[in-house]
Amino acid sequence: MKSKWWIISALLTFTLLASGCSGNDGTSGDGGSDGETEDGKTEVTLAGWSSSPEEEKLLQQQLDDFEEEHPDITVKHEVIADQYMDVLKTRLVGGEGPDVFYLDAVEAPALIETGVLEPLNSYVEDDFDAEDFEENLIDPFKDEEDEVYGFPKGYSTLGLFYNKEMLDEAGVEVPTNWEELEEAAKELTTEDTVGLGVSPEMARNQFIGESGSGDMVTEGEANFGSQEVIDALQPLVDLRNEDEAAAAPSEMGSESTGEMLGQGRAAMVMEGNWNVPYLNETFPDMEYGVAEVPTFDDTEATMAYTVSYVMNQASEQKEASWELISYLTGKEGMKTWTESGLELPARQSVAEELGYEEDEVRGPLVEGAEYATAWSDGPNLPTIYNNFDNEFLSAFLGEKSLEDALETGEEVANDEISD
Amino acid sequence: MERAEAGSYSKANSKKKRNYTRLLRNIIQGYGFMLPTILVLLVFILGPVLYAVFLSFFDVTLLGSTVLDYTGVDNYLRIMDDSRAKRALLNTALYVGIVVPVQTFLALFLASTLNAGLKGEKIFRIIYFLPTLTSSAVLTLIFMWMYNQNGLINNVLDKLNMPTYNWIGDPNIALYSIMIMNIWATAPLFMVIYLAALQGVPKNLYEAAELDGANVLQRFWHITVPQLRPITSFVVIMGLIGTFQLFDQSYIFSGGSGGPSNSTLTVVLLIYQYAFKSLGTMGYATAIAFMLALIILIASILQRVLSKEEQFN
Repeated sequence: MKSKWWIISALLTFTLLASGCSGNDGTSGDGGSDGETEDGKTEVTLAGWSSSPEEEKLLQQQLDDFEEEHPDITVKHEVIADQYMDVLKTRLVGGEGPDVFYLDAVEAPALIETGVLEPLNSYVEDDFDAEDFEENLIDPFKDEEDEVYGFPKGYSTLGLFYNKEMLDEAGVEVPTNWEELEEAAKELTTEDTVGLGVSPEMARNQFIGESGSGDMVTEGEANFGSQEVIDALQPLVDLRNEDEAAAAPSEMGSESTGEMLGQGRAAMVMEGNWNVPYLNETFPDMEYGVAEVPTFDDTEATMAYTVSYVMNQASEQKEASWELISYLTGKEGMKTWTESGLELPARQSVAEELGYEEDEVRGPLVEGAEYATAWSDGPNLPTIYNNFDNEFLSAFLGEKSLEDALETGEEVANDEISD
Repeated sequence: MERAEAGSYSKANSKKKRNYTRLLRNIIQGYGFMLPTILVLLVFILGPVLYAVFLSFFDVTLLGSTVLDYTGVDNYLRIMDDSRAKRALLNTALYVGIVVPVQTFLALFLASTLNAGLKGEKIFRIIYFLPTLTSSAVLTLIFMWMYNQNGLINNVLDKLNMPTYNWIGDPNIALYSIMIMNIWATAPLFMVIYLAALQGVPKNLYEAAELDGANVLQRFWHITVPQLRPITSFVVIMGLIGTFQLFDQSYIFSGGSGGPSNSTLTVVLLIYQYAFKSLGTMGYATAIAFMLALIILIASILQRVLSKEEQFN
């Protein structure tokens, strides 16, 4: 009797240990599935986030179209609800990464460096027409040897969103350069409203910092404490602290500059394409206009944010994965994706076909694609912008001089990078 | 004679043997029953802890090809000249220094008022305890709405003609906002512990003191407080451990950045950032984590030593 228990407990221990050890084999990425479903179809997993139900619906439509065209491939779509990069990195480390996934340009250089992404040059064929993509949108996804690791699914740029009523009342023309913007902001400031709502973040202001001759990032290190960058950002800080014509969202009790505009707390803000459906849905009664971001000494500049589809280097379904990527970022798939204006098409041909350049709201945003600074600047950008944001905020709120703040921030960032 | 000796010897020997087998069986049986728990502890607690200590001596790259480079105590030395780590330590120390005493005193105060035999005690007990039942994430979100520039708290302050603050966005205020929120949420938990302990304080002490003419405050200071000393010690240590590990509230408050201007950056938040946000700093993150564990250990020991000394006096 007792000996039986022995055998059972020994077996139990063994199975426990065995199950604890298997699946720990870090390098064998199987894409979270066996790759083949029961009916002999190849299964590709696709992971991404979902910022709205509309986005999910569009992607589902794309996937349905894709599966119809490729009857031998099924796509398993996984939505990672929160902390996308944390989840994704953990899954990649554990060898459970998806075959195809979204990757923001700002994270791309660091991930390319680690070698977890599949280089895509050898897959690209002529009819995919890789030349069609806007160049500065695809650059963040290239390594030094011009190898491409991802193709943009779309992009958004910043434009100047303004409250039409407020500008009309104050008799202010839509500003076209930075001097006019400052004057307009002062004119538009009232007791409850500031002229310009500002997100004091590097992601939104890098193009301002680099409008002089300075670079905020040089050779992968922070350089935002340089005099050129300080000089370029000073007017923005002065607009708040000396003219009291600008404010950050948190000062006015808003979540974002888009909300500031909608709530009538700011007359002008610099926001992106994502703001259009938001304003239409949340503040349907407000009349707003969109213009290109004002120029600095006749130089046009804005920011562009882009997300690509990339392939897991450890994927076992590389051919099928490429089929999926090339469909989603191809002319047909991109048209489906960008038709509703959720994102702007990264392919010039699709932009032309959809006629966004003539669109009153999206036209100015599409114009920006050519001259925009893409939000991506080497593998250390996350460290750099985190430190910039922290310090720039205190300067923007008038607690430190801009010079002090940015010099400290640069030092801390570079300390962190060099270690 | 000899034979008898030999016989008793072999008897004793076989008895010993029997004892051994019994002991062995007992051990096997005992540990066999504990095996599942021991395994769980090993795999999920002890293993990771030891692994983290091990990693803290390496430069770790996890993504791509896993690389471990032995760097000795470099990770620990790096903490010394990392200004963000210093800032995080200062923030955490300030937070601990204010929250622990305030919440301990508040808990004691609330418990004694509830123990005084006032009307509606039970209802108040429930009301006081409710915040503890709320999940910290939900609590933080609700407080962020109340802290909003145009939110409840500023409106009330405005009505009372008091100054209003930018509770979330102002680097000088943000950490205090989290302190207020946390004191409000954790004090009731310790209040319940105090409340239970108060039932155990002998009534005759109070009666004797009353006969000697001690007033309410004197009775509180000279009977309640000393009688509850062991409980206070427990509450303070639990408070220390909890506050040193502040993470979720400041994470939600700042969206993971520790901002505005690093003002809500805590040690655990910094560990999280190094471990998951930047690539290749996992080893450094575990080094900071180990440092934090040491700090908590030292703080707890110090607290115990100090409270013992007091007792002897």
